[in-house]
Amino acid sequence: MYVIDQQAISAQKTHDLSFEKGDYAIYSAATLPIVEPAYAEFIPLNLLRRMGKAVKMGIAAALPIVNRNQKVDGIIIGTANGGLENCIDFLNQIVAYDEGVLTPTNFVQSTPNALAGQLALMTKNTGYNSTHVNGSLSFENALVDAKLFFEATTNKTSLLVGSVEEISSYNYHIDLLSGRYKKEIISNDQLIQSNTEGSICGEGASFFLLSNSPEHAVAEIVDTTQIIHPSTADLTVLMNAFFEKNQLSMDAIDLILLGKNGDNRLDFWYDDFHQIFPATPAINFKQLTGDYRTISGFATYLGVQILNGKINGAHPAFNTEFPTNCNHILIYNHFDGIRHGFILIKKGTR
Amino acid sequence: MSKVFVTGFGAISAIGNSALEARSSLINGTSGIKKARFFKSNYVNSLLFGEIPLNDEDFINLTNSPKNSGLTRTSLIALAAFQQAITSANLSEEALSSFTTGFISASTVGGMCYTDKLYEDANLQGEASEFVGSYEASDHTFQIANRYTIKGYTDTINTACSSSANAILLGARLIQSGRLERVIVGGADSLAKYTVNGFNALMILSDEACAPFSTDRKGLNLGEAGAYLVLENEACANKKKKYAEVIGFGNSNDAFHPSATSPDAVGPVLAMQKALQVAGLTAGQINYINAHGTGTINNDETESTAFATVFENNPPPYNSTKSYTGHTLAASGALEAIFSVLSMENNELYPSLNCQDPINTFPFQPIQTYCEQQPIHYIMSNSFGFGGNCTSLIFSKCM
Repeated sequence: MYVIDQQAISAQKTHDLSFEKGDYAIYSAATLPIVEPAYAEFIPLNLLRRMGKAVKMGIAAALPIVNRNQKVDGIIIGTANGGLENCIDFLNQIVAYDEGVLTPTNFVQSTPNALAGQLALMTKNTGYNSTHVNGSLSFENALVDAKLFFEATTNKTSLLVGSVEEISSYNYHIDLLSGRYKKEIISNDQLIQSNTEGSICGEGASFFLLSNSPEHAVAEIVDTTQIIHPSTADLTVLMNAFFEKNQLSMDAIDLILLGKNGDNRLDFWYDDFHQIFPATPAINFKQLTGDYRTISGFATYLGVQILNGKINGAHPAFNTEFPTNCNHILIYNHFDGIRHGFILIKKGTR
Repeated sequence: MSKVFVTGFGAISAIGNSALEARSSLINGTSGIKKARFFKSNYVNSLLFGEIPLNDEDFINLTNSPKNSGLTRTSLIALAAFQQAITSANLSEEALSSFTTGFISASTVGGMCYTDKLYEDANLQGEASEFVGSYEASDHTFQIANRYTIKGYTDTINTACSSSANAILLGARLIQSGRLERVIVGGADSLAKYTVNGFNALMILSDEACAPFSTDRKGLNLGEAGAYLVLENEACANKKKKYAEVIGFGNSNDAFHPSATSPDAVGPVLAMQKALQVAGLTAGQINYINAHGTGTINNDETESTAFATVFENNPPPYNSTKSYTGHTLAASGALEAIFSVLSMENNELYPSLNCQDPINTFPFQPIQTYCEQQPIHYIMSNSFGFGGNCTSLIFSKCM
């Protein structure tokens, strides 16, 4: 399965590739909202008014890809929570008006499949359409779904696959109550070494045009796997099996992207995991955007940019220099130390 | 490519705490749509619901769950159906924890079913509730995976009303591809103020028992259910009772409107045609259709149009079992797949209720009476949702 094109909207200026050129944005805030693109370039104003942020940013990440490419045979989205702001707005209406006569807009916009549906509508796409809402593994699930789609056909086909998560004051509150965010305000470039409990709340949308044909590929998504509630030993067993299945030596990995989020209760997972590949350089990425559930989509975007030399080893955003000529990158991300996802990508043929 | 067999299932809905109980309601034409006893909402006086006749405490006992552990009603309903399914397929603890066993669930309301608790937590009104960690759509999947130490592939799907049909579709493809040997697939949704108010705002709820495919239909009734099927590959299913084989599936988007289906039924037609193509069947070979049949003006008109197109004005016998259970949203695809399998296994057809005056613009109407000794070899089950998500499944009988 190959990556033909990609687009990311994040707290960094990835939408116009300024970030890639070395523009590293540093904020001091409890939440790291995205750099908002000019939505009106992609979305008619009458639609835009009704859309929640998750739908808006998803469309703003997806449509440039559709416009640059054309043929898309289906749409698969991974999102843990979809349009939460709309969801709780609707909930607040239910309580405020004591279940009175409500307008359905918030309700319709809040359903997690609203984005995939809206994209199908805007691009007149009657093909395969699915939305995975499996928490922090939703993007990995979307990739598996895509892989199965391609395996079922011998024709050259393509899919629009993406991940999206929005910050709303509500999910911020819920996750804050759950102890997922830091009590103190720190700047994002200090996140990884902060050594306190919790992380910073982030959001973003990352989209990919995937194809079963290697023609014009910027990368290959070789495989993905996941595990829930593992022991550290389980991770070693899982990785051995994963590399064996993909007939790849573990030494072939040139760079590891680790999802460290600065939570001193949980980052040990990444250090333990790195021990499985002791000679391979590893970089962190959540200092760019804070943490959110489907961030592995953004990590995949970064990995593909690195494979293509669009982000080089001396970029100021990363903790360590890394080899500029990478062929294989492994992404590891977990959430709460419970759900663990892995994505293996490889340089394309373009 | 491995075959995909149904080796067990579990269902809990307004018409029975098990698939067996549901079957007897279906045979007798006994609907579960009535005034809600446990659900709390201003609408319980004016609307009818397909409520499971158990309160949350009953569910905690039924599923042998710890109290005050953040299990929402969605999770409890899911657990009850899941437990039946794994017992029915006789899955061992080892089998459940194998890396080649997956679990794919579906829910629309998910952990947000306690609307008022969520309101308090989301607006920081006081201390965190026991459910503060349970609001994610995937919470029920995770709770079950945790309790049964499922280590293989897990997933949660939300394509609105077609969610668990897509869970079945994805599970079947994972087995076919050899990635999994067995997978438990299905979904759960509980009644929630959130959903009831949303559907009410869209003005598609009926204040009477729904009347799918009847001219005088006024809308749908919301229900709640949990339904799971155990799918296994040939090697695992060997020597087990095989209730059915999953042979076809089609997924398409209607690409017409966020909350309505197109007049020419583009998505439903494509989903059914793709399913037939995957199954290698012609439309004329299908012996029964479990329709999506919500009872809304829009759906039943569109679905009838799709039947007219795909089956050239001559569809096989069809019914809407939502006239028994109400619309159970993310659970409906799996629940209705189980009802279809019961129909096929027992060579019987259940009546569609409340269709006194069949839509007269089409030369066909749903099943009106219970029929025995029907030769049923191939069945189709349809699920269409908001966001244009249409999925059609085809099962065949195992000899």
